[in-house]
This record gives sequence, structure tokens and C-alpha cells, in this order.
Amino acid sequence: MLSRIVDNERTLGLLLVAPVVLLLAGLVAYPLSVAVYSALTDQTLAESGRFIGFGNFVNVWDDQIYRQSLRNTLVFTVGSVTLKLCFGLGLALLLNEAFPFRRLVRAAILLPWIVPTVLGTMAWLWMFTPNFSVINYVLAQTGISKTGLPWLTDPDLAMFSVIIVNTWRGTPFLAISVLAGLQAIPLELYDAAAIDGAGKLHRFRYVTLPLVMPVLLTTLVLSTIWTFSDFGIVYGLTKGGPMNATHVLATLSYGTALSAGNTGEGAAISLTMLPILLPLIIWQLRRVRRSVVA
Amino acid sequence: METKNSALTRRRLIASAAAVPLLATPAIAQNSLKGTKLTVLVGQFYVPETNAMLDQLAVDVARDTGMEIRIERLAGDELGTKTAAVVGSGRGADLSIGVEFDTLLYAPKLADVTDLAEEIGKNYGGWMQVAKDACMVGGRWKSLCLGQAPAAWNYRVDQFAAAGINAFPDTFDELLKAAKLLHAKNTPIGMTLGHASGDGRSTNYPVLWAFGGKEFEADGKTVALDSPQTLAAVEWYAEVYKYFIPGTTAWLDPDNNQAFLGGKCSATVNVNTIYLAARAASGTNPAMKNIAENMNHGLWPRGPAGRFASYNINTWLPFASSQNRPGQMAFLRAWFDKSFLVKWTKTGQSYFIPTFEGMDSLDVWPEDPKLKIFKDLNKLNRLEGFAGPPSPAAAEAVSKYILVDMFAKACTGQLKPAEAVKWAAREYEQIVKKRAG
Repeated sequence: MLSRIVDNERTLGLLLVAPVVLLLAGLVAYPLSVAVYSALTDQTLAESGRFIGFGNFVNVWDDQIYRQSLRNTLVFTVGSVTLKLCFGLGLALLLNEAFPFRRLVRAAILLPWIVPTVLGTMAWLWMFTPNFSVINYVLAQTGISKTGLPWLTDPDLAMFSVIIVNTWRGTPFLAISVLAGLQAIPLELYDAAAIDGAGKLHRFRYVTLPLVMPVLLTTLVLSTIWTFSDFGIVYGLTKGGPMNATHVLATLSYGTALSAGNTGEGAAISLTMLPILLPLIIWQLRRVRRSVVA
Repeated sequence: METKNSALTRRRLIASAAAVPLLATPAIAQNSLKGTKLTVLVGQFYVPETNAMLDQLAVDVARDTGMEIRIERLAGDELGTKTAAVVGSGRGADLSIGVEFDTLLYAPKLADVTDLAEEIGKNYGGWMQVAKDACMVGGRWKSLCLGQAPAAWNYRVDQFAAAGINAFPDTFDELLKAAKLLHAKNTPIGMTLGHASGDGRSTNYPVLWAFGGKEFEADGKTVALDSPQTLAAVEWYAEVYKYFIPGTTAWLDPDNNQAFLGGKCSATVNVNTIYLAARAASGTNPAMKNIAENMNHGLWPRGPAGRFASYNINTWLPFASSQNRPGQMAFLRAWFDKSFLVKWTKTGQSYFIPTFEGMDSLDVWPEDPKLKIFKDLNKLNRLEGFAGPPSPAAAEAVSKYILVDMFAKACTGQLKPAEAVKWAAREYEQIVKKRAG
């Protein structure tokens, strides 16, 4: 019986894939289906609710706070990912060079990524806190600024502050991923380029960048998805304030579903992230599939 | 002492539950709950001794009833999230401590404790209106009010005196004048205008009410925010903000405590934890000793419509999904027994005060003269959603910080006062409209 199953390629294939399918069904498909169902009802935490079609989506779009949170999410994501790209790429190039204690530095660079979000955010809150900011203290002591900067008080600076913290946290992941890509580039290619007279800039432009691009793109897509749905940093630093200047879709969804008890509407807010992220996800999946086939 | 003379002690009450025909639960005899379990979700009370007393109560009730009690202590927002998870899943706990609107939002998933509430209320001269507002849904008690944490004006008597102010302002005009004088002396006041879940409410709603503003009409459905009274409140706020310590629009719950204890702020709205912290550290920290000696608490100023306050309320939420209803009732009876509650309240130094009409006559009030005012503050509380009853719409407005942001937008000049009022009123209208749909 067992040998018959093993001999049948189709049956064996299905059997081997089954655990992954079950895992995905349980951990991804089921929660997503529940979220979609909730979003189409007026469900609250205490009541199952009735089907209202796209009513929640219409309601959230009518809400100025939702539209502001959507704008904030886009600014937060674009700002953070751009900075993470610049710092991550730069850091990877530096870490790829030979210098004393290189391995130790490479390990240490991962710390912001390893430290729990809440812990890291609390440390930044201490640095940005309105009346006792340690950064402002340093600025005042060094004579750069008498009063310091309103890091979390000014709406624009508050957005900049949450972007900085997200960049601090996400840069190591990008840097280490790109570093792995850099180390996979054969040194002969650089030698050949040097013989052809290519300078440092040209070697980076025509050798490093094209070869590291697949890793870089994958990392950027992942980073974009994670940043877009980030909750902990904004919630820990500002709770969406001041005046909703840093409210993002994740924090708005949390408040709507858990504080106000509107789980249906909270789910709808979360799901509005999907159409924005879906093209990225599809593009990424196609790329992965192509690379597997190749 | 109440505890010695009371005919109704916790142990006797549990043991004699069978003699009370109106009780919602079956009779509970000694050890009759053996083999059952009770999980209770609680937060962290500020006064450490009151946490220890709760733990000891669980041990005592477990010994009396024979049931196994597990106290699960959760920090900050974690308690609310876990409570919501229990409501959603019907698993994980039998009892939990909730906040202002939890009873209203979770009512279908909470057990009816009307008989027990009435029985307990009689022992303490009846429940205060705010307890009924927070715990009753559709005329039935769905939770029991644990207490409220009155927020007072914490102010530096020495700094006020240095600015020529000899008593805490009694009106909003006087508070504005005081703010100007204190600012000129470089000892500004500050009120929380950030997304602080506790201080955001307790600081801002009383200003609206004092000027006669209200969120809803008495029906709880008609938005009444856009009014000359609300505009007057916002205009006052925008004016007084000019003399605030910088940074208040980003203040979260700990920030005003830190600003006051750090000597940067001469007055702010807070529960008594600023004073308790300063007093506790007085023995080892001269700066804290100075603050404890030179600060006091004041009532909210009187506005054109009166004097109001908004406090954090805690409730005991009995989950309907619990398989141990007798255990829930036994624990709640033990909590509200005078032999425990009176001592627990007094130990808490008026941080959390039970919401009974008869509290004044009980030996629950701290001896410290700087905490005497909390007896009066305990009578001022009002729930958000006024002039309507507590409602999901009012809860949503709180969760979105609409009122806080209305004041903040006007204060910072992001919107003119009239525009800020209209913005907030539109948000309220939108909440009501979607709920009506």
C-alpha cells in the first residue's frame, strides 16, 4: 500500500505538499478569510453582526481620520524605505570591506533588528520625549540649539521621528541581506573590470549593482510590506498623535477594533492595505517563481 | 472600626450565601467549589500594597471555597487587549478588570449580576450615578464598579505664591490669569493635549463641560458639539495654551507626571500619583521632598455651566462564558465585603475610590491633609457622551481622541477655534451616521 503511494508520483507530490498547504491554510488563509468576512459585517467584539456588504469600506473612506492615516502610512513607508535603502546599501558596502573586528561589527549591527520593537521604541521615546529629550539636552549643551527640537510635538517632526526609528530598526536587515548578496559576487569580475580600466564608481555601477539587484529588490519589497503594516513604533512613540499626524492604518485599525470595539470596521481598515501591497506581493512572487524555474 | 463591627464579613457572606434568596448564584457552602478554577485578569494598581491585598484576597477566597484561583497581572494596554481576546473567543478568563466603556461594548458577553449589584449597593448606601452609567446596560447590571481614580489639579503652592497667587484658581478666567503670571515667572502650567488614553480624557472633557459644551443631546444620538459653548471652551483653551510648557500636544500619560516631578511644570491635571511618588521618595531624594512639601491638589475651576471632572473608571467584568459562575460570584462578594474593601481603599490613598453613595461615612480616607480633597473630587465624575447616556458612539469618539485633537488643533493654530469645532462635530456626525446606517 505504502509502496503504491510512493510509486505514484502524483499522490506522492500531493502528500509532500499537504503539510505546507495545511500550514498556509491555517495560518494565512483562515485568518484572512475571517478578516474579509468581518470587514463585510458590522461585527463588534461582543456581537457577530450582520452582512453589510462594502458598508465599512464606504464608512472608513468618508472618515477624514482614515484618509489622513492612509496619507501618513504612505509618507511613513516611502520615507522609511528610502532611508533604509540608502543606509542599508551604504552599510553593506562598508561591511564588505576588510577592517579590524569586522565580524564583531557585523554581529553588532544586527542589534536594532534583534531588540524587541517595544524596547527599542522606549529607548527612542526617552530620547525624543517632549520635556526631557536627551538629544535636546545634547543640542543645548553643545550650543547648537538653545531649546532643542520639538521631536514629537511638531506634526512634521513627529512623522520624521517615527521614520527615523523605523529606519534605525530596519536598516540592519537590509544591510545584512545586501551584504550576503555582495559576498556572492565573484572577485574575478571586479578584477576583469579593473583591467578594463573601470574605476570604483564604474565597478559599483556595472558590476556590484546589477548583481546585487535581485537580493536588493527582494529585501526592499519585504521591507515595504513590513513598514506599511508597522504598528509598534508609532503606537509606542506617539499613539498616532499629535493631532493624528503620525496615525497609520495599523494604529487606526487597532484603535477601531479594540478600543472602540468595531472589529468589522477595524478589519476593513486593515484590508484597505491589501490593494496597495498586492501588486508588490504578486510582482515578488512572480520573480521568485521565475528564479526557481531558471 | 467598620471592619470589626460589620455584621457582614467576607467569610460569613460567602458561607451564608444560601440564606439570601435573591442571589444570582446557587448557594456557596464552605469548600463547595472544590475542584473548580477561576482565572482573574487584573492590571497593576499604582499603590503596591493594594496589589498584594488583591493577591491575598484570592488566597483567602480559595481557602474558603476550595476553588483554585489564578490572578493574571497584565501591564498597561495588555489588559485591555487580553480582555478583548477573552470576549472574542469566550476563553481565557472568568473575570477581568475593565474600563469606562467596556461594559457597554461587551454587554452581550457579560453575565447579569443585577441581584449581586443590588445586594452590594444596599451595604454601602447605594451606587453612585457614574457607577450605574458605567455598569448598567438596558437596565441590568453587567459589571460591578471597582472604583474611580479622581484627577485633581496638582499644583506647586510655592511657585503659585511666587507669582502672586495664593489659592488655586476657582474659575477658568482666574486659571488663565494664573497661567499668564506663572509663565512670566518661567514656571508654566501644562495640560495633556496628546493621545494619552487616561490624561487625554481627564484633562479635556471637563473643560468642554464647564463651558456648557456637550457631545450629544440627551437622546445620545443627536450631535450637539457645534455650539457657542464649545467654541467658548476652545477659545479659552487656545488662549491658555500660549502660556503652557512646550510639548503638551505630544504628552502621553507619563509625561505630565515627569514634567511636574522634574520641576518643569507648576500645575497639571493628574491623579494623586505625582504626590504619592514624591512623598514616597522624600526620605532619600531632597528634590522629591521639596516637591511633596510644596505641592497640593485643587478642584477643577468652575465654568459658566459648573464644575466637572472625568476620571478613569475600573469595573469588574464577569464573563458570561465562564464555566464557574459560583466562583465569579464568590470572588466578587469577597471583594465588595466591607472587611476587605474598606481596608483596600484606605491603603490605596484615594488612588482608586469605590463609587458608593455611602463612602463619606466609611474609614477609607487618607489622613494626609494633602489628599483630603479627593473626598470631594470623588463626587464630581461624569462619563463621556454627555448629555446622552454612555454609548458606543461616545466610546469611538474617545478612542479617536476627537475632543483632545479639537482642542489641540485650535491651540497649535492648525485650525481656527471655530474650524476646530466644526472639524470635531463632523467627526462625531460621521460616527453617528454610520452607526445609524
